[in-house]
Amino acid sequence: MAKPLVLAALMLLAFSFAGYRFFLRLRPMFSAPGIDRLDHIGERLWGLVPNVLLHRRLLNIRYSGILHAMIFSSFIVLFTAIVQAFGSGLFPGFSLAPVGGNSVIALLQDVFAVVIMIGVGMAFYNRYVIKPARFKGSNNKDATVILILVTGVVTSMLLEFSFHIAAGGDPSAPWRPLSSTIARLLEALGFEGESADRAAHVFYWVHVCVILSFLTYIPGSKHLHMFAAIPNIFLRNIGPKGQSRTPDPKAAHIGLSDVRALDWKGMLDLYSCTECGRCQAACPAYAAGLPLSPKILIMNMRDALIDETVTHTATAPAAVPAAGSNLEALVGSVISEQTLWSCTTCRACMEVCPLHIEHVPKIIDMRRHMVEEGHVTPGIQDAMASFQQYGNSFKKPPRMRAKWTSGLDFKIKDARKEEVDILWFVGDYASYDPRVQRITQTVARLLQKAGVDFGILYDAEQNSGNDVRRVGDEGLFQTLSEHNIEALGNCSFKRIMTTDPHSLNALRQEYPAQGAEYEVVHYTQLLLELMREGKIAKAANEKVQGTVTYHDPCYLGRYNNGFEPPRQIMAELGYKLHEMARCRENSFCCGAGGGRIWQDDTGVKERPSENRIREALALGDATIFAVACPKDLVMYTAAVQSLAVEDKIQVKDIAELFA
Amino acid sequence: MHIVTVVRLVPDLLEEIQVNEQGTDIDREWIGVKLCEFDDHALEEAVLIKEATGATVTALGIAVEGIDRVLQSAVARGADRAVKIECGETNLDSRSFAKLLSETLPQLKPDLVLAGVQTPEDLFGQLVPFLGTLMGRPHASGVTGAQAEGNAVKIQQEYGAGRAARLTLALPAVLGIQSASQPPRYVSGTKLRQAIQGTKIETLSATASAGGSGTVKEMRRPARGQGAEMIEGEAEEVAGKIYDALVGRGLVGGK
Repeated sequence: MAKPLVLAALMLLAFSFAGYRFFLRLRPMFSAPGIDRLDHIGERLWGLVPNVLLHRRLLNIRYSGILHAMIFSSFIVLFTAIVQAFGSGLFPGFSLAPVGGNSVIALLQDVFAVVIMIGVGMAFYNRYVIKPARFKGSNNKDATVILILVTGVVTSMLLEFSFHIAAGGDPSAPWRPLSSTIARLLEALGFEGESADRAAHVFYWVHVCVILSFLTYIPGSKHLHMFAAIPNIFLRNIGPKGQSRTPDPKAAHIGLSDVRALDWKGMLDLYSCTECGRCQAACPAYAAGLPLSPKILIMNMRDALIDETVTHTATAPAAVPAAGSNLEALVGSVISEQTLWSCTTCRACMEVCPLHIEHVPKIIDMRRHMVEEGHVTPGIQDAMASFQQYGNSFKKPPRMRAKWTSGLDFKIKDARKEEVDILWFVGDYASYDPRVQRITQTVARLLQKAGVDFGILYDAEQNSGNDVRRVGDEGLFQTLSEHNIEALGNCSFKRIMTTDPHSLNALRQEYPAQGAEYEVVHYTQLLLELMREGKIAKAANEKVQGTVTYHDPCYLGRYNNGFEPPRQIMAELGYKLHEMARCRENSFCCGAGGGRIWQDDTGVKERPSENRIREALALGDATIFAVACPKDLVMYTAAVQSLAVEDKIQVKDIAELFA
Repeated sequence: MHIVTVVRLVPDLLEEIQVNEQGTDIDREWIGVKLCEFDDHALEEAVLIKEATGATVTALGIAVEGIDRVLQSAVARGADRAVKIECGETNLDSRSFAKLLSETLPQLKPDLVLAGVQTPEDLFGQLVPFLGTLMGRPHASGVTGAQAEGNAVKIQQEYGAGRAARLTLALPAVLGIQSASQPPRYVSGTKLRQAIQGTKIETLSATASAGGSGTVKEMRRPARGQGAEMIEGEAEEVAGKIYDALVGRGLVGGK
């Protein structure tokens, strides 16, 4: 029989070609730096349930989620048809009949052929009629080719089945309602017996060829995610969200300067990207008009990685170059410096990515390279130099850190000299910014009134280094964290409290990797505890006026899961909370994080903070914009002023709601 | 080529400055210090020349509290050697400092000596002319860029009213840098840490001669003015009053 030989030859050809294309893409991964992502196998596997089976993140955009679920489930079911086609082609007599190939499986194939065609139709409609903005910058042609190929696979399969039924004697006919209906049409057109059998053969080969073309096309397409997605989700970061990777102390060079120096999981991230643009739609920098789209960043890095590979096969064997100081290799050419400085590290992109791609660590790693090379913006240089000299970004002497306490009529304990229950790590903005000092004093009075035994570090406190680390100055972060760890090590306390989510993140998630573990709480959690213990009187309900909307700070919410305490405080105080659409995990960054607060507004078309205030105003009834982060207070107060809407909405810290 | 660049610690003017009890100096006990901004530019210019010509750069300072950190940062920035002079004095006036340097520098055999054009304590920028004269070398101040070429150094010097000059000085020479050819570079915390751990600071001993530039008898805060005249009212009214005030003081024409 010629059929098995022809099919085997075709398969050999297609598999070799596809295999070669896969190899080209996978090869850099074999020589890439390692990363430990094979721990906690159980937790990793369990994560596949919501992320793959239940499509949880995909369904955040319902239309796209549903159409993906339709295509995804159909692929699984129709895989049986592929097995059947190739099995029977290679081994005459092979059949899935013993496991229901002519009954249940046949029925499922028919049903899911309809499901996938509806899914593909919805995808076409989405791409060509709805045209979501998040697709801007994605490769539309690639997506279209794939949709056409899928249509080809399914249509050829259905026609093969239908002609087979029309030829007569197909035992699966009663289980194939759709194919049988088409068969009746074909019979009406005169296809019967031998002519139908011949046509079935033709469509068998069409079906096989389209599948093989699909296979060879995939490695160069965003549909590589069909193979990369599940491994990528399995290998996701399950460690602390707010802990940056510590560079190898033995490495000659800090930071990512060459895409081939990315670890293998980072490369898999690049191959997994489906260009769906959810990250782009969530990105505050993109919304502000800054030159950053997390999607395009990943696509550009992926293309650079692929180009490198292709170039090297043509010339010399790919050798991983020593990660050198050539800024042009990746940063500055593939990814512009302005792109990297645009990121607020708010993590919104990572939170929405269905594939769990890690955008932010890559950006931080490239920033580390820029910082080591001395390529920083004037604003960053100014702030970092201030940290180096004074331990804060305000160019204020350490002695003035506790100056805000002079506005109190009681003395706050010096935690360096006395044992305290709660050590309050105040943070830079809460200590130095005149707009925030007032709130810091309010918190102090609340704690004092509740009888909390608390103290501060006075001038021994320095910036926690959270944002310094995100700017990419690893050495400065080390210096700051060592200083604070030493200062804290000389104190006796039970818990650390801070009003600043950025300090919270560093102390809770970054310092353990520096060898210092503390129990760290946000003040909203402590205030809630005090309320529940009856130590803080709830405001009399008649005093509570107006509807509140609440902004989740990135480093309290997304990074530290502190969604509930602020909401519970507002509820128990009797405020009516009207949530903005972008709340909790989907909160929209104020635009200050990751060192953005030290940069100017060059290139910004709409400040994220103003975009956010407009969102709050659009609720219609919110007159109080509640925040729980000193930087938010600064950012939103400024936004309300620049929009000239002080008469419509007031920015208030959670602590002020007790008044 | 060997460049020696002078680093001086100056009071941090961001802090509140107090006059001491004797009324002869600012109270230096509590004041923070930092590298003089002009010296920072001089260091940058030295490193730029090094990058262009392969010169060796030595950062040189008087051994006072905090100088080690400044010398280490200089190494992180690109200086090759760090040297401090132990002379027992911490607060030398420009003339004594120039004399001390002129006696100590020959040990380092510099082809070019750079220093900031002035400091808050050397407001008239006397160090460089004193030093150039004492060493018998060509010198220039107000330099805004320097390029070494063979046995000479080409400099840009700024004058008032937007005029500038290009001059060539024979080496060895002494330059007072007003600003480097490009802003001082950023040194990452990592490089700084490496320099703090790995820099060997060399020490030169010298005896500072008694200063001959007089002693401060009294120092006081600037006298408070007689208060300001607050002009209130509508914009046009305010503009009118400002105009009248200027005319009244003979500062603008009037009739």
